[in-house]
Amino acid sequence: MSDQTGPGTPGPAGSGGGDQPGDSAQERVHYAGYQGEPADKSDQDSMSSIFKRAKHPVDTSGAAVGGSGISAGGPDVPAGTSDGPEVLGTPPHQTDSTRDPETTVMRTGDAGVAQPTYGTHAGGGGGVTVRPPRAEDVDRRAERRAERLIACWFLISVVGTVGFVITNFVGDKHQAYYTPCLGSALGLAVGGLGIGMILWAKRLMPHEQAVQERHEFTSAKEEIAVTEAEITAGFADTGLARFPLLRRTLLGAGTVLGGLIVVPLLNLTNSKPGKKLDHTSWVKGARLVTEDGRLVKLGDISIGGIETVFPAIPVTESDGTTTYKPKTDVHTKADSTTILIRLPPGVDRPRKGRENWSVDGHVAYSKICSHAGCPVSLYEQQTHHLLCPCHQSVFDVLDGCRAIFGPASRSLPQLAIAVDDDGFLYARNGDYDEPVGAAFWERS
Amino acid sequence: MTTASPPEFVKRPTPVRKANRAIDERFGTQAGLRRNLNKVFPDHWSFMIGEIALYSFIVLLLTGIYLTLFFDPSNTEVIYNGSYVPLKGVEMSRAYASTLDISFDTRAGLVFRQIHHWAALVFVASIVVHLFRVFFTGAYRKPREVNWLIGVGLLILAILEGFAGYSLPDDLLSGTGLRIAASIAQSIPIIGTWASFLVFNGEFPGDNFLPRLYVIHILLVPGVLLALIGAHMGILWHQKHTDFPGPGKTEHNVVGHRVFPVFAVKSGGFFMMVFAMLALLGGLAQINPIWMFGPYDPSKVSSASQPDWYIGFLDGSTRLMPPWEFRGLGHTVPAVFWPTAVLPGILFTLLALYPFLEARFTGDTKSYNLLQRPREAPTRTALGAMSISFYLVLWISGGNDVIAKTFSISLNAMTWAGRIGLIIVPPIAYAVTKKICLALQAKDAEVEHHGIETGIIRQLPSGEFVEDHRPKPTPVPDHPLVTNDRFALPSANGHGDGDGKGLARRAGKAVSGFFVEEKETGPGGPSAPVGGGKH
Repeated sequence: MSDQTGPGTPGPAGSGGGDQPGDSAQERVHYAGYQGEPADKSDQDSMSSIFKRAKHPVDTSGAAVGGSGISAGGPDVPAGTSDGPEVLGTPPHQTDSTRDPETTVMRTGDAGVAQPTYGTHAGGGGGVTVRPPRAEDVDRRAERRAERLIACWFLISVVGTVGFVITNFVGDKHQAYYTPCLGSALGLAVGGLGIGMILWAKRLMPHEQAVQERHEFTSAKEEIAVTEAEITAGFADTGLARFPLLRRTLLGAGTVLGGLIVVPLLNLTNSKPGKKLDHTSWVKGARLVTEDGRLVKLGDISIGGIETVFPAIPVTESDGTTTYKPKTDVHTKADSTTILIRLPPGVDRPRKGRENWSVDGHVAYSKICSHAGCPVSLYEQQTHHLLCPCHQSVFDVLDGCRAIFGPASRSLPQLAIAVDDDGFLYARNGDYDEPVGAAFWERS
Repeated sequence: MTTASPPEFVKRPTPVRKANRAIDERFGTQAGLRRNLNKVFPDHWSFMIGEIALYSFIVLLLTGIYLTLFFDPSNTEVIYNGSYVPLKGVEMSRAYASTLDISFDTRAGLVFRQIHHWAALVFVASIVVHLFRVFFTGAYRKPREVNWLIGVGLLILAILEGFAGYSLPDDLLSGTGLRIAASIAQSIPIIGTWASFLVFNGEFPGDNFLPRLYVIHILLVPGVLLALIGAHMGILWHQKHTDFPGPGKTEHNVVGHRVFPVFAVKSGGFFMMVFAMLALLGGLAQINPIWMFGPYDPSKVSSASQPDWYIGFLDGSTRLMPPWEFRGLGHTVPAVFWPTAVLPGILFTLLALYPFLEARFTGDTKSYNLLQRPREAPTRTALGAMSISFYLVLWISGGNDVIAKTFSISLNAMTWAGRIGLIIVPPIAYAVTKKICLALQAKDAEVEHHGIETGIIRQLPSGEFVEDHRPKPTPVPDHPLVTNDRFALPSANGHGDGDGKGLARRAGKAVSGFFVEEKETGPGGPSAPVGGGKH
């Protein structure tokens, strides 16, 4: 703001005035910044002084024809015109001047109303719009109000920061208010600063429309030719074209070395796939055990009920008795989880060869979805359908858990169960006869 | 006169100038510094969307660093003994336990964890919206195709990073997601089983898998993201920002604010605003309450389990996929392979190649710096609408169980609607969008030639009736034309407008200002937009 005169003070009498139809004292536009050097390409090599610059290609002639205040600052004014309120900045660094793009900055004047130049078609194209002045440009009290408002937001930020610190150290982190208070305080702390900064830029910083030339990215033909020639010469110097043995062994060595990437990749695991995906933890004679370690007995489940079961592996103790050790660790659960369903008598339609895989309406199927491995956990008692909540595959329990809807294409594998003399259910054939879970390439 | 001579070399520098000169003596910074500080950035609200992505990434880095100080990425099973009573005594991995500790027993832990999660959602979302902006305005055209490619890479990495992030706490939801990821890896022909075993270190759930995921999440992907964001910004800086056509704007210039000071301060403010919004979300809107899901257990799943939004379209494509599994010659290509590996592969490849395809089919190899309005490129806009509708059908299908439950629709009907919709909605979107674009073009041309209909019918002396047309209005400037003209007030006592001396005089001025401050005026006539738009 320092370069602007105070509100209400008329601009310099000569600035863009004279040719203006309106209140010339109120129309003034700063033209600050610098025009480093010619925009015109043909003029670029000349290292010309800033005063010999070419016309700016931005066409503000429409405004100029209209005689508005902005045009006075516009680059279309021929160099040397004395009545433009034009501020030239420092000349660009000598060594840099040929590459330095030109930046032109136009500012709304600090006093009065500028005539907007948009929509002026005269002169073919209209010029860069300079915004009309804000209240803050015209009215010092508005400026002060804006300053106070911004300061207020900055202070709110301080309040937020203090609130955050206090909540963090004094607040009880087990109370419900703790996190919301921290978040709100942090929001206030950062947001207050943010709102203040945006208001600061919008209300108090001078409006400017800066115009900068774009580079042409394509290099000159001569430049390209020289570069290509140098690279070609350098490549010839390497001798790769002349010494085929060198070239081939280098390529070979590089390829072999690149192949080393396989080593860390394969070192990622010591556990080779092998047949691991084909097997689960179920063994012959393993009893069915629930998650809380209860061995499932015939009659534990009512008709229409389900139970998620895991293998309890028979272990022969030193005294010859057999105990059952439930396996419910994460790895076992990942492939051995089984769902035990008690169907009403007579509804099950067992597949060929599986007639004796169920006991008194109890059927056991893998709970691991044959589609993507989610646990198939929703059982519809009325329809005897199992639904996977991940991708909505539906399996018909009565029909050997055939996939009847959704993306799954294979039935859930069935676990053959039987009942022993103590009334406990156990896996009569051992493991599932096919891999459980999602399919894979090696699966037939 | 205001023509200024070049500034004098200050002989007795202030400390800041001293520092500047010290640096310049060593690196020769002045010309480059000035060139960069004077770099011009154009002004349009839609250019801020990419900034939101950048700022939420910074917030992600900041909050992420805080979380790493407390998170323990370990699969080791422990018995929870923290302050969340319902899970006391439950066996869980240390990853899950430490996430609970962050949520309940770490100062400002939960708020930063939630800000982190929200920032991730906003990060991907703003990347996608930024992509829309770039696509529909043709900003990716030559010479900016490389930045488009980098942007597509950033989108893919952001999705991967988000997935890795929400899989880390080892809760029931994320474990289910990882299980599906393992199944997808398994489904790849030939190398699938090995890929899954190498990634997970054995058969799912693998052996000490979380530490690897952690390294991917906090080092590998963020490192690449950071490098690509740097390249993205560097190219933007070098090539200069595109801009919409407007008064005085040409293919060969940029019109806007210089970096210093306005753009820098505004951008700083926008960063603060993005941070503040995320802080408010993190504090007030609960997200991913892992304590409600429980630790991961491969035998359990919660119904209506939804991934974060950016994974939703893959979930949807998986749900819509018919059960087509290819078996033969002793091998299987599972159904899950097509919608989760092949489909995104095709989608992202098409997305990455689009600038080149468009240039090839239109034969347009020119460079552009000015943007197009969507209607100016009807085919592109229609293709974009088609792609978005395709994506939306997938995305909605990702939550079809929730929709089915909420609106009491049959789930099967939802699935079938999705399957059919995926085929028929995109062509409809294409046709409708193209028609709209062409109609808008025709409308523009008509207004250009005949002006705007006024509804006034006049009878000519010859008896002929004609309708009056108003000429096309002047182009709309890129700033609001709110009339809030305030003029210098006379002081209450009419003695000029100097600083009032007494309280009464100042009060008087203030009161008179209340009555006369707003005033309609306009030297350029009643229709001239006068006064400052508040911007």
